[in-house]
Amino acid sequence: MSRVGKIARRTFLVGSAAIAGGVAFGYYMYKRPAKNPLLDDLAAGEAALTPYVMINAEGITLITPRADSGQGVYSVQAAMIAEELDVDLDQVKVDPGPPSPAYYNTALAEEAAPFRPTNEGFTAESARGMMDVLMKFLGMQVTGGSTTVPDGYEKLRIAGAVARETLKAAAAAETGVPVSQLKTERGAVILPDGTARNYVDLAAKAAEIDPVEKVVLRDPSEWRLMGKPMMRHDILAKSTGTLTYGIDAKIDGMVHAAIKLNPRQGGAMISYDDSAALALPGVQKVIPIKGGVGVIASNTWYAIQGAEAVACDWGPAPFPPEQAQHWEALASSFTAEAQDSQQRNDGDVEAALEGAQVIEAEYRAPYLAHAPLEPISAIVQVTDERVDIWTGTQIPRFVQSNVAKMTGLDADNVHVHVMMMGGSFGHRLEDEVVKQATELAIAMKGTPVKLTYSREEDMIHDFARQIAMGRGRGAVKDGKVHAFDLGIAMPSVVVSQLGRQGLNMPGPDTQIVAGAWEQPFAIPNYRVTGYRAPQLAPISSWRSVGASSNGFLHDGFLDELIHAAGADPMVERIRLCWHEPSRKVLQAVKEMSGWDGFEMGENRGRGVAFTLSFGVPVAEVVEVTNTDRGIKIDKVYVAADVGKIVDPINFDNLVKGGVIWGLGHAINCEITYTDGIVDQTNFHVYEGLRMYQSPQIEVQGLENASKIRGIGEPPVPPAAPALANAIFAATGQRLREMPFNKFIDFV
Amino acid sequence: MKLNVNGADHEVDVDPNMPLLWVLRDELGITGPKYGCGIAQCGACTVHIDGQAVRSCQVAIGDLQGDVTTIEGLGTPDALHAVQAAWVEHQVAQCGYCQSGQIMQAAAMLELNPEPTDADIDAVMSGNLCRCGTYPRIRAAVKTAAANLKGA
Amino acid sequence: MRIMHLGVIAALLSTPIWAADTEIEITPLPEGSVNSEDGLAAWDRIYQVTSHPRCSNCHVGASNVPMWSGPSYGGKPRPHGMNVNAGESRIGAEYVLCSTCHAYREVTGTRLPHAAPQVAADWRLAPVEAEWFGKSSDYICAQLRDPARNGDRSYLDVAAHLEHDVILHWAWDPGAKREPAPFSLQEHVNDILAWGAAGMPCATD
Repeated sequence: MSRVGKIARRTFLVGSAAIAGGVAFGYYMYKRPAKNPLLDDLAAGEAALTPYVMINAEGITLITPRADSGQGVYSVQAAMIAEELDVDLDQVKVDPGPPSPAYYNTALAEEAAPFRPTNEGFTAESARGMMDVLMKFLGMQVTGGSTTVPDGYEKLRIAGAVARETLKAAAAAETGVPVSQLKTERGAVILPDGTARNYVDLAAKAAEIDPVEKVVLRDPSEWRLMGKPMMRHDILAKSTGTLTYGIDAKIDGMVHAAIKLNPRQGGAMISYDDSAALALPGVQKVIPIKGGVGVIASNTWYAIQGAEAVACDWGPAPFPPEQAQHWEALASSFTAEAQDSQQRNDGDVEAALEGAQVIEAEYRAPYLAHAPLEPISAIVQVTDERVDIWTGTQIPRFVQSNVAKMTGLDADNVHVHVMMMGGSFGHRLEDEVVKQATELAIAMKGTPVKLTYSREEDMIHDFARQIAMGRGRGAVKDGKVHAFDLGIAMPSVVVSQLGRQGLNMPGPDTQIVAGAWEQPFAIPNYRVTGYRAPQLAPISSWRSVGASSNGFLHDGFLDELIHAAGADPMVERIRLCWHEPSRKVLQAVKEMSGWDGFEMGENRGRGVAFTLSFGVPVAEVVEVTNTDRGIKIDKVYVAADVGKIVDPINFDNLVKGGVIWGLGHAINCEITYTDGIVDQTNFHVYEGLRMYQSPQIEVQGLENASKIRGIGEPPVPPAAPALANAIFAATGQRLREMPFNKFIDFV
Repeated sequence: MKLNVNGADHEVDVDPNMPLLWVLRDELGITGPKYGCGIAQCGACTVHIDGQAVRSCQVAIGDLQGDVTTIEGLGTPDALHAVQAAWVEHQVAQCGYCQSGQIMQAAAMLELNPEPTDADIDAVMSGNLCRCGTYPRIRAAVKTAAANLKGA
Repeated sequence: MRIMHLGVIAALLSTPIWAADTEIEITPLPEGSVNSEDGLAAWDRIYQVTSHPRCSNCHVGASNVPMWSGPSYGGKPRPHGMNVNAGESRIGAEYVLCSTCHAYREVTGTRLPHAAPQVAADWRLAPVEAEWFGKSSDYICAQLRDPARNGDRSYLDVAAHLEHDVILHWAWDPGAKREPAPFSLQEHVNDILAWGAAGMPCATD
């Protein structure tokens, strides 16, 4: 099989070493100081180990280093290893493992390369290869960007295959039966006479021999697990209240803590008075920290009450205090000086618009909170020798190095225990809560401190999704879209987010135009320009990042032009789309919805939207009724292409969830600032979709794309424009700003 | 203050204003009921008091009257309640954080209304927020649970 | 099992929803001691109370859907969030009991902003015949003096009702920065007494 050669070149080799009572495939890499991974990469046939399988007397543990915030990636990662290892998921334990440079995320960096995902040419692939190198330097064990599946698709299967072949070699050495006569099944090597030698019993022998490095991955047609419906390993625990999330963790002797931070995020605390707080029951101590105070108590509720009772004098916000100023900053950024990128400039837009009847529109997308239902929390215990951290995080390596710096200990002595997460949506790509808990734990040396954010503190200090403004100009000709010119202004998410980790990101920020510049439409005169607005409020990655706003700006404006051309929104998108897998998702939703035009009779209508993001083309059709009490979303049809679907059930659930996420925020969510303080403090004014508003959703997964991709984020961007386009079809009212409930009622 | 949770008696010495939720979680170590909002907006903390679904973040421990059942008392991994079995069958959970509350609310509904219509389900379950968007699966699981309870 | 829970609901329905926690003086005025003009002026103040969102949000009609309107909610009136429907029981028995969130609360504690209001009673809607939301002064005036629609109450009974019902008391002391009902509970009771002594006049008389 041709894959073998490719694997050798890409140096996915696995070592093994004996550890206490068992064998870990590749585990010894943890123990080695981080070498220069670039040298490893250059020296073909060496290094960059894949430490994903551990076997000892207790059984088989699969290491699944990408964090599970609810998207089911522990199960998906385990399935990819188990497929080649020949174990079933009910036979193994799943563990996120420790932070290690070995778990860098290749696919995340690929997404940052400035090449369209539809471009698989030499230069694009080379640049993506360089990003791989960059990631190795950074050693970013990051979960994000819908990259878990593409990043692990080869690595994890190879890890499973190497472990399997090494175990077979161990069985051969023990029994004298040649490897060619051995089979593997359900965690055992099967001898020709049918005798089973369990992996667990072979582990000691396997630890003594060199791992088998050359493996052949199975053809998908031979898969037992992947591609078929799976039972997620955490479903039983999540259905019985027995799963321990970060917020549920308990360490012997721990105290509880809450914080009160300057509500003007990032502002200073000038002074505080803790006398009222200290008089409250259960409150033990008030400790000043950066930008606020922490309150130590015997119970979370006492701590929260205590924090509310501390009187603080706050400094000003380190950004413009009023929301209108933020919009003004964006509006002023459509200038040559602020231009960040113009990677799409087909035909001659200016010439095409010259003398034409120009259609112009301005679109807006607000700040948004991530607001996972589990507020953020962390337990930190600091001693002279070591630090232990229990928290739900997508960035364990940053957590480790940041806490090492704060405590003066070596990173090796900072132990991060990644906990299950009650949602994230990008929220847990930040580690402020860990830093604050560490400040408190340093002050309480030896005592584990559990810091839990109240919902209000979480909402106010969530690093918001960027605001974005789009200005479109366009023209139509002969019933077709002839010119499309979109400028997008936003502050840089990447600069804000990586800046908090002390990192620079040189060059253009592709997120400013993500979900817009790379859309596969053959519009003859087609330009997308990114403008970098000044950094305003601190912002962070929010489920689908740049595309979360830009899908709306791009597809909403495209819909306007198509209607202006008098064309059918579905037919014209399909006509314009040159990318085969993308066109097929459009054709799929056309068939699923029985599309015969945007009109559906009186007070009804349908809209279609399409966004290619994270390499995944997604098309959505939304059907609405304009009732006397407002808009009712009747039905949604979605088609998406991730190349290969690892688990159809999880795929279906994530697509539906992504659509509901996109619709809910488009309808009723925004974060705004008054006097530098977030106005929305809890779910009473930040609802998202509830069940009664949740439409029927029909999902189809296609597998025409050449690369495997993740599905966590791509269903989000087209949801808002599909709804706006449907509302236009039903009412004639064009919505160009989210949330839509500022302009129209919903049932 | 005394309270009975999942059939066991407990005594706690706390401020009578402390919400039941925090007594359960931090004093008794019963963490199935979740903290999501603290103001009855999300439903993640839902428990039963004498069989009625109640947001435990809204009940001051000093005002508690009746026996408390949490998700841990509804059924266990070895002996699932019909609603939990339906949740497993449909693989409802994504992050799963809201699901304790969803299941407790659904179980209370089915006690009173064994054959809920779609509209009934939407009316009862809309107080329970799911940020992951598992509503389509919750609807299906409620119906499966209703059918199984009816057959039982 | 099911029977037990239906029993719970029956018990809730029969729970008296009054408890004396606020001292109100009811000093009836001699019949006819208030002239019709002053009686109508008293009525206008009463109407300011009955039409105030703090009161009218739960005095809704046969939709059984409480409203969220008024300064605490901003914007235009909208139905109670979460698709709440109190049902014909008016306590949510058919769907979600009001008391699922509006828990019984006797222990005085901090009333949380934006949380479900709570009193030492089972939260509920006013009876359907006492519909006030969106209704005119004339409509409510006629309703309040009509025994068929006011719970078979004399104006003195109405005043006594105001003394007893702790949900009504909450309207004047909602806490958590909510805007209270206009005037004070005592002033409102005094207006009822004056309106009654004037013969319960309405502008349409």
